[in-house]
Amino acid sequence: MEKSKDKRRPPFKKVVKKSCLTFWAMAPLLLGTIGLVGLFQVLVSPEMLATLFHNNPWVDTLIGTLSGAAAAGNPVVSYLLGGELLQQGVSLYAVSAFILSWVTLGFIQLPAEASILGARFTFYRNILAFFFTMIIAVITTLTLRLFI
Amino acid sequence: MKKQPEKPFAFRGKLFFATVFIGYSIFAFLNFSGAIAALQKSGMILFKILPILAVVILMTATINFFLQPKQIVKHLGKESGAKGWFAMLLAGVISHGPMYAWYPLIDDLRRHGMRDGLIVVFFYARAIKIPLLPMMIDYFGLLFTLILSCYILLGAIIQGLMLEKLPRSYIR
Repeated sequence: MEKSKDKRRPPFKKVVKKSCLTFWAMAPLLLGTIGLVGLFQVLVSPEMLATLFHNNPWVDTLIGTLSGAAAAGNPVVSYLLGGELLQQGVSLYAVSAFILSWVTLGFIQLPAEASILGARFTFYRNILAFFFTMIIAVITTLTLRLFI
Repeated sequence: MKKQPEKPFAFRGKLFFATVFIGYSIFAFLNFSGAIAALQKSGMILFKILPILAVVILMTATINFFLQPKQIVKHLGKESGAKGWFAMLLAGVISHGPMYAWYPLIDDLRRHGMRDGLIVVFFYARAIKIPLLPMMIDYFGLLFTLILSCYILLGAIIQGLMLEKLPRSYIR
């Protein structure tokens, strides 16, 4: 039985080749997304994003979520910037939303996500992630206040 | 049994790539040095994620080699149960690199029967970055990091469950 199962299994080399082809087929999408990230990093600096905050905790939470989603780059940058924003008096609600949406949402990768996983799925996933990012940012700060 | 014909090879996202290319061309016309800087940054990003892509390709191949579609359905499909949710939370937490590097693998698993709720779990759990936890603790404190991480995991599961409440025709 096992033997017949193994007989049906294609050689590993062939499976790797098939996977490579799958990725190669998606190369325009991946390269386009990477190109967009590079373009965005030059056009929109983290400092520009920091100027969007207005010291209103609720509005800033929304701004934090949107700017984090619009930003691109290594999450380390979001921590550095988040730390700076906290020192400037921006609320922890907003900073939490900012660092969370930086990694869970991404306007730049939406075309690639929609093309690969489908527009409807991408729409619902991002809507859910958007609201949950704000909810988690708020309840994290509220929970933290119970302890401090 | 009849062998299913293989899909012919075709590039995906050609129009998107062309749009980005046109965007670069316009930007280069307006600000040549800026366009070169953006191109350099993109090159650096590509160079950084190449090893991650290699790992993802190898993972895709390994999964396809060892797991038959039936087994994928068993572990990540409707019958997967708590084990499937836990596996995707863990996979999300330990996965590295940008989200888009994982799209092809997720697409492949989905075609083999992975449930949509688990994809949502995977992508949201990626908010926890194990190598960056010490830095997060340093900037925001241990308590903040712990609370946020717990809520991320919980939020990921709730989002997955919520997505699965939607009719399949709404999602696919």
